[in-house]
Amino acid sequence: MASLRQFKPEESWQAPEGEPIVRIENVTKRFGTFYAVDDISLQIHQGEFFSLLGASGCGKTTLLRMLAGFETPTSGRLFIDGQDVTDVPPYARPVNMMFQSYALFPHMNVADNIAFGLKQERMPKAERRERVAEMLSLVQIEALASRKPHQLSGGQRQRVALARALARHPKILLLDEPLGALDKKLREQTQFELVNIQERLGITFIVVTHDQEEAMTMSSRIALMHEGRIEQVDPPRRLYEFPSTRYAASFIGSVNLFDGYVLQQDDDQVLVQCDDAETRLLVRHSQPLVPGMAVTVALRPEKMRVLGQLDADTPNQLRGRIKEIAYLGDVSIYHVELPGGKRVQFTQSNVQALAEQPLTWDEEVVLGWSANSCGVLTE
Amino acid sequence: MNTLLKKFKHLLPALLLTGAAASSADELHVYNWSDYIAEDTLAGFEQQTGIKVIYDVYDANEIMEAKLLAGRSGYDLIFPTARPFAERHIKAGLYQPLDKSQLSGLDNLDPVLMNSLASIDAGNAHLIPYMWGSSGIGYNVTKVREILGDDMPTDTWRLLFDPEIVAKLADCGVTLMDDPTEVLVAANIYRGAAADDFSRDSIKAASATVSAVRPHVRYFHSSQYINDLANGDTCVAHGYSGDVLQARDRAAEADNGVEIAYVVPAEGALVWTDVMAIPADAPNPAAAHRFINYLLQPDVIAPITDYVAYANANLAATALVDAEIRNNPGIYPPAETRAKLLVTPTPSERQIRDLNRSWTRVKTGQ
Amino acid sequence: MSLKSTLPTARHLIIAVPWFWLALFFLLPFLFVLKISLSEPVLAQPPYFDLIREIEDGFVTIVLNFSNYQLLLEDSLYFKALLGSLKIAGISTLCCLLIGYPMAYAIARSPAHWRLPLLMLIILPFWTSFLIRIYAWIGILKGNGLLNGVLLWLGIIDSPLEILHTPVAVYIGVVYNYLPFVVLPLYATLIRLDTTLLEAAADLGCRPWKQFMLITLPLSLPGVFAGAMLVFIPVMGEFVIPDLLGGPDTLMLGKLMWTEFFSNKDWPLASSLAALLLVALIVPFVLLRHFERRAEEAAT
Repeated sequence: MASLRQFKPEESWQAPEGEPIVRIENVTKRFGTFYAVDDISLQIHQGEFFSLLGASGCGKTTLLRMLAGFETPTSGRLFIDGQDVTDVPPYARPVNMMFQSYALFPHMNVADNIAFGLKQERMPKAERRERVAEMLSLVQIEALASRKPHQLSGGQRQRVALARALARHPKILLLDEPLGALDKKLREQTQFELVNIQERLGITFIVVTHDQEEAMTMSSRIALMHEGRIEQVDPPRRLYEFPSTRYAASFIGSVNLFDGYVLQQDDDQVLVQCDDAETRLLVRHSQPLVPGMAVTVALRPEKMRVLGQLDADTPNQLRGRIKEIAYLGDVSIYHVELPGGKRVQFTQSNVQALAEQPLTWDEEVVLGWSANSCGVLTE
Repeated sequence: MNTLLKKFKHLLPALLLTGAAASSADELHVYNWSDYIAEDTLAGFEQQTGIKVIYDVYDANEIMEAKLLAGRSGYDLIFPTARPFAERHIKAGLYQPLDKSQLSGLDNLDPVLMNSLASIDAGNAHLIPYMWGSSGIGYNVTKVREILGDDMPTDTWRLLFDPEIVAKLADCGVTLMDDPTEVLVAANIYRGAAADDFSRDSIKAASATVSAVRPHVRYFHSSQYINDLANGDTCVAHGYSGDVLQARDRAAEADNGVEIAYVVPAEGALVWTDVMAIPADAPNPAAAHRFINYLLQPDVIAPITDYVAYANANLAATALVDAEIRNNPGIYPPAETRAKLLVTPTPSERQIRDLNRSWTRVKTGQ
Repeated sequence: MSLKSTLPTARHLIIAVPWFWLALFFLLPFLFVLKISLSEPVLAQPPYFDLIREIEDGFVTIVLNFSNYQLLLEDSLYFKALLGSLKIAGISTLCCLLIGYPMAYAIARSPAHWRLPLLMLIILPFWTSFLIRIYAWIGILKGNGLLNGVLLWLGIIDSPLEILHTPVAVYIGVVYNYLPFVVLPLYATLIRLDTTLLEAAADLGCRPWKQFMLITLPLSLPGVFAGAMLVFIPVMGEFVIPDLLGGPDTLMLGKLMWTEFFSNKDWPLASSLAALLLVALIVPFVLLRHFERRAEEAAT
């Protein structure tokens, strides 16, 4: 999974100095008896490309709408650039939103749509015209200025919506599933453009998405949400490599989970007894754990290597029989059944598969990985 | 010219669309004014003859005329007002001559009426008179006396056309009929002009007379005044004798302290006669003759008079009429009053249009 | 290929049905009216001369008489009646819009489970006969009627208001009767309005009142025009309401037509009036089509 931003996996994200541009303090939003957002606190900093990621119904859109001012928190406070905006109506907030449906005004042409927000703040006409031209060129739709929304393609509409939301130079741009309505190819291309524009303007972007790949590609940080709460907030690579919860581990990418308990810990390594794998696993983990504590070991499928036979140098090893093979072009996914009946998944690049003798069904394999390749989850 | 309960006249244009059903030999299609027969009249006829009567009603001569002119109305017997309607229908050849051998008791008919009808229907070939009455003034006795004083005579058109008097009565409520011939002819009688002068100058002068009192007139309507007089909502109404008497009876029934009287103005007033006629294209003229014959019987027509409060044309029936109706000078006027009644004059087709268009101007104040 | 070549025919057939309907129930009757309007009145059955008269065996002559139109154009009464109808139809339409728009808006913005009952309340009066409802207004508005009774009892007025048989009564009757024709199309337009557009406007700095003026109102214009035409066109020819509730000075084309047809038996003149009224109505109708087409373009 390629990130457009460079972070070393181990490097934990450092909060910049000073007041965060968005501070969410213990915000709860209740609809009847349903807690859409449940006591969330979060800080987002100037210049971030911040994603709210989660399955539908996790509360990410409600949180975004509270930032825009369309919903009022049941309790808690919202601060934007140090100002308490909890009770400020949407039209008075220094944020703009790009809607999932784009919400372009059908009775206005592209230029008028973009100029709409500028007219509201009574920007002089000449300046306004200049700003519209600037926005049109930013999203590369100069030729479409006099078209009506119904005369545009989906991708073109997306650009107009982006230009309109950016025209007022908001402190924060809120994007609700900005790429959701585009087809896959256009989506990938647009991801790069969004990141470019964000870096060029230096505006803080807060994006709601259900697409983990999209979040991973574009974000500086991702908040993974689940049932109204935040599971984990981290840069993409950290979130992938070091999920802190079972949910985080399984939501992003594929993962093999082994339940067990702590046998012992020395320095930064933990030995975990995993009964369902009928083995002990050595995992790198620096936080102190109490022996006997129930934990889960998370292992990404691509971290395993086929050993051919048991190897004393590899700390973690499993023997099993290949039950299923899924060919995906660049990689293949193998389902291996352990003697106890548990199944694990591992992936292998097909370059490798062709060079060596290919694995086949019912073949017995030994899989091995290092202590650095897996993690311990405590919740 | 008679309008009883004109209330639902606007439903009738819709009736124009529904042609009468095809007739069979034992069916009779009658088209009459609403509320213009007694409750058991039809049942009696059906019992005597075995002929089934299909009975439709109208509230304005114009509606009946429009249907007749459109052709193939399907009716066997109609009840138009003699002048000007039956008169012009005869000219247009819309009626068939009566077969008098099929009719009995013609001798009982009032010779004065028959002579008058002969002037529009030579030899009384097409028309048999049915009911007749006058149009004059109905007024609230107590209130009018209160406003005008005891000395002011009430049997005069000044109550409706003298601007000074009408202005005094305006708050109490003065109404005129919505009928150009009735009102403009009455205005002519009031200003001493010839009643049958329908020259443009005369129409203009009569219109000016009405226009002068128009600001004080509450409305122009030919039946609304029945209720309003009876309730005490209005004080003076230009109206038909039978309708005003109906208002008087309603007030008496309601016992609301309103006392209504009907007068024939001393200057003269119009008399009208409603007649029976058989359309030229009647599907069943024989049955129509039998129905006319039935209505010529004194003991059939007398109860109808009792019911509708209009005088019938059958002298032999007068004795059978309820004494209260018979002795009511508004229904059966004494000879001296009858002498003041003028037969409704008939304007020409062009004059009718002049009258109507002039009337629209007067009413709308243009 | 054979299927393809038969398709246009089937399509033409489908298009032909409404055209046929229009021709049969609109064009044909109108041609009859037009024919009568070019004729002369006569006391006969029917009461007008036929345009085509046979003069000799096999020879016919067509006599067109334009004097009816000439009279309509020369006599100021008819022009004034047209102005009267335009005025009543125009003011009534405006009142209907001013009252109906907030109603439609409120229904469209009310919780979903309230909308059907509220719409039913709008439609419900239509289950009673039109005439009965107009007569009910006579009872309410007359001198000793319900309204005056209540106002007198409350001490708001000292003497009864003269409302019945005045233009005010006509406006009340027309607005009351035609209000649903405005509310329903407006509701249909407003309920389709995407509320995220209002959020977008708010997001771009628009206060609620300006959101309405800049977004809701312009996008509901097709509904406004549909509703306005549904009131304006029938009220132009309205006869019953002004006749029952209006005063004698209510001058409208519908009443004049009645007089010409029934009192004057002048079918040709009445037909000419009808033809002219149709022309007067076609203009706003063409306008409506124009706006509808624009709305369709905006919707696709």
